[in-house]
Amino acid sequence: MNESEYQSLLETSWRRPLTADELARLESWAAGHPEAQAEWEAEKSLNGLLARLPDAPVASNFTAQVLQAVEREAKAVSRQPSFLEQVKRWFQRPAPRLAWALLLVGVLWFGYDRHQANVRTDVAKGMSVLANVASLSDPAVLEDFEAIQRLSQTAPGVDDELYAVLNQ
Amino acid sequence: MSTSPDPDAALMLRVKQGDRDAFEELVEKYQQPVMNLVYRTLPDATEAEDLAQHVFLQVYKSAHRYEVSAKFTTWLFTIARNLCLNEIRRRSRHPADSLDETFADNEDQPIRQPEDVKNFSPPDSLLQSELEQKVEAALAELPEKQRTAILMCRGDEFSYEDIAKVLECSVSATKSLIHRGRETLKQKLKPYLKTGTWTDK
Repeated sequence: MNESEYQSLLETSWRRPLTADELARLESWAAGHPEAQAEWEAEKSLNGLLARLPDAPVASNFTAQVLQAVEREAKAVSRQPSFLEQVKRWFQRPAPRLAWALLLVGVLWFGYDRHQANVRTDVAKGMSVLANVASLSDPAVLEDFEAIQRLSQTAPGVDDELYAVLNQ
Repeated sequence: MSTSPDPDAALMLRVKQGDRDAFEELVEKYQQPVMNLVYRTLPDATEAEDLAQHVFLQVYKSAHRYEVSAKFTTWLFTIARNLCLNEIRRRSRHPADSLDETFADNEDQPIRQPEDVKNFSPPDSLLQSELEQKVEAALAELPEKQRTAILMCRGDEFSYEDIAKVLECSVSATKSLIHRGRETLKQKLKPYLKTGTWTDK
């Protein structure tokens, strides 16, 4: 047995009682090494103390309480609201309601603004037509309008006769 | 993974399918080891039991995510340790709050029944009781990792690899934690050990 095996047996003793063979080998080696002997005695004592530590107190109804908690958990999960319910609840909260109100006001304002813009465009178009009317020639030009129009309404045959007379 | 060599993992797979009986079996089997760890991590016995119950509730809630990639006990004790650490952190932030506020759904739960407090017979010797108190006090003063490593190491249930997984460190680091913790315990208990009164029988 060597130092490494001694350490390995010490580590084993932390987890479980050594077998008779392991114990015999360890104590035989420790007997020839006073420092190891003292260490082993302390380790052995500590192992005994830790092994004798009592179990923590557990209520007899521990399992029942856990199962009740599981039951409550299952009920809580089944009680969870549906998506629509969650959306409805969300809308009932103050902040989202305010946000939606602001959004609605914004949409209405935008619609009103677009309407006003369209009205202004129509008015501008009307004004431009009026402006064109204002740029026409003097109304005096139209003084002989009816006579000139009548000229164009004379029968084509009259012109032909006049043309023939002029040619003679 | 239709078959598993770990019977607890097989039970846990049944829990994953919604089998309450399998869950009850696991709770019955591991309530004591979990309580032993939690009880020695949190100073308050009543709150330790609340937290231990919460560990199992967490196991149930997380069952759908359970994969047989490690021993069930490693997974269970990782949950237990994480909840203990969360509670310790929470207490350091809000020292006046109780666990009831954390686990509000447990409000209607009866607190620990006094008649159930100990399921072992107290030794007839007062010396033994004093000894236990000294050991418990020395354990309580250890850093959390050293204490958890030593407590998990106490039985044959966990290998060093299992303990290392729970503590999220290497096997050599785990052994080092145990060694340092035990050295501290030996130092603190030295006066008593020297008298020979407490030496192993």
